[in-house]
Amino acid sequence: MSRTTGRADEMSVASVPTSTAEGGTRPPRRGVRLDKVGLYGLLSVAALTALFPLLWLLSGSLQSLTELLSNERFLPADPQWHNYVTAWVQGELGIYLRNSVLYTGSAVIGILLVSSLAGYALARLDFAGKGVFTFVILAVMIIPAPAMFLAQYKLLISLNLTNNPVGYVLILITSGIPMSTLIMRSFFVSQPRALEEAAALDGAGPLRIFWNVILPLARPGMAAVAVIQGLGAWNEYLMALVLFEDNSLMPVQRGLTAFTSAETPQQQILLAATTISIVPVVIFYLMAQRHIVKGIGAGAIK
Amino acid sequence: MMTQHLAVPARRRTAPRGRRALRRNLIGWSFLAPAIALIGIFTITPFVQAILLSFQSWDGVSPDTPWVGLANYDFVASDPIFWASMRNVVFFGVVGFVAGNGVALGMALAVNSVTRGRTFFRTVFYLPGVLSVVVVGLLFSFILAPGSGILNRLLGMVGLGMLQQNWLGEPAVALPAVAAVFVWFHWGFGFLLFLAGLQDVPKELYEAAELDGANRWSKFRYITWPQLAPVTSIVSLLTLLAALQIFGTVQVLTNGGPGHHTMVPTLAIYNEAFVNWRYGSAAAMSVIFGGALVLLSVIQLAITRRRSRA
Repeated sequence: MSRTTGRADEMSVASVPTSTAEGGTRPPRRGVRLDKVGLYGLLSVAALTALFPLLWLLSGSLQSLTELLSNERFLPADPQWHNYVTAWVQGELGIYLRNSVLYTGSAVIGILLVSSLAGYALARLDFAGKGVFTFVILAVMIIPAPAMFLAQYKLLISLNLTNNPVGYVLILITSGIPMSTLIMRSFFVSQPRALEEAAALDGAGPLRIFWNVILPLARPGMAAVAVIQGLGAWNEYLMALVLFEDNSLMPVQRGLTAFTSAETPQQQILLAATTISIVPVVIFYLMAQRHIVKGIGAGAIK
Repeated sequence: MMTQHLAVPARRRTAPRGRRALRRNLIGWSFLAPAIALIGIFTITPFVQAILLSFQSWDGVSPDTPWVGLANYDFVASDPIFWASMRNVVFFGVVGFVAGNGVALGMALAVNSVTRGRTFFRTVFYLPGVLSVVVVGLLFSFILAPGSGILNRLLGMVGLGMLQQNWLGEPAVALPAVAAVFVWFHWGFGFLLFLAGLQDVPKELYEAAELDGANRWSKFRYITWPQLAPVTSIVSLLTLLAALQIFGTVQVLTNGGPGHHTMVPTLAIYNEAFVNWRYGSAAAMSVIFGGALVLLSVIQLAITRRRSRA
């Protein structure tokens, strides 16, 4: 217990002056308490800064236009719930959200399949040229999107896959593969081999072992990949902007910008539409938080 | 933490011979086949095509893409918008790097040293990070609006009316304002990684240091900081790359304006291609900018590798 309080010191900037000023005549407890107050103060300011724009969004989406523009009060006097109905209908959010769910879902399934196959091969199978593939994956991860999106667009034109869900999902899958393969690989490396060896002794082939033995056990690794790639696919914007022309095919991020520029909706309606668009991702975040934190760590540190 | 697995598998390299070897290789490569096909078609082909396209002229429609030699590069070299965007993005990089990483590390240290409410703060601090660039752009275009924006109103309320600004319309203010939005959006990512790194620092090190009478600063300087070094270098690189590739937030917030004061390279490339219909010079821009980013990553990785060997 005392150790944890003692470590409040690491926030040295905030805490050192108070404690030295207090030192000597007063008992140390007081300095520790002041440290804590300062720390919680700092954390609360940061939390408020992170939350305030979202709270304002929520509040603004429930105000009437005159109330919103006059900016008289922070909370809506009389919550205008019908803003949400208008936003949903005018903004065609049902279509966009359905598209986003579809694209994100297909991309995640595709990424999981491809990257667990490749990650398993890298972790467990023995064959020539493995190092070459690992190197290519690392090299591909370094190529940034701004260097590619133009040529990807040109390629999809020649494949007749622009303005087409299949083309978009294939791009989403491909961009998720390198990192996911590395995550799956390190997951498989950390797993015991006993079950696979037993299955091999029973005469099961590699694909059968993979499908019946490996994949069911790989759930924790796949969960990390799924949440992080799912978030990425849901929030993808650049390729959606470049590829889609028909509103009926757009995912929600692209749909939102289409809504702002084409219809010039009233501000409170746009705020309501924005709120609707973040509800799924915020709920998902609050539910799958542990996996997300783990996935981000795994993805970044590889 | 898992980095060591990456260095080519330490298994025996004695290649099995004959038909068995062929079978093994076949099985191995067939597991990789889907990944190879997708990366080959949708990453490597476009990568090569982007380079080729930078020596060609293309209007985005016609099947005809004549070779023009270095003309695109000549054009880009004298394009003030592109170079303005490069200067601006350096500013984003520096602010994202210094402010973003500074806040992330500070808050990770703070959360790590309190006992109550850790989960709450962690949840809240990463919350902005799950939003999309479009949502963040829209949200702050309202918050920072000159007349009805809540920020100006709040400043007026607390008696700081002289700080009120046309945040996104004033050339001198717009770039820092957009950079601040980026930091708000992105610092939670570094925070999560720093926090995980702090929790991996062995407690015994601090206990030993306390026995030796180390003060707070020297514990940070000689234990926390060196122990965090691997995390710091990854977070720095990823934050820097994210800041340099900023696109959607800027497009929605300012679309590069006022003038070109918040133009960034990815947006300049997009506009050159999809607004001006000059795909060739857009490709030349993406080769220049993409090449710079690749170089940056390679240098950073080389430094990290050398440091971890030393």
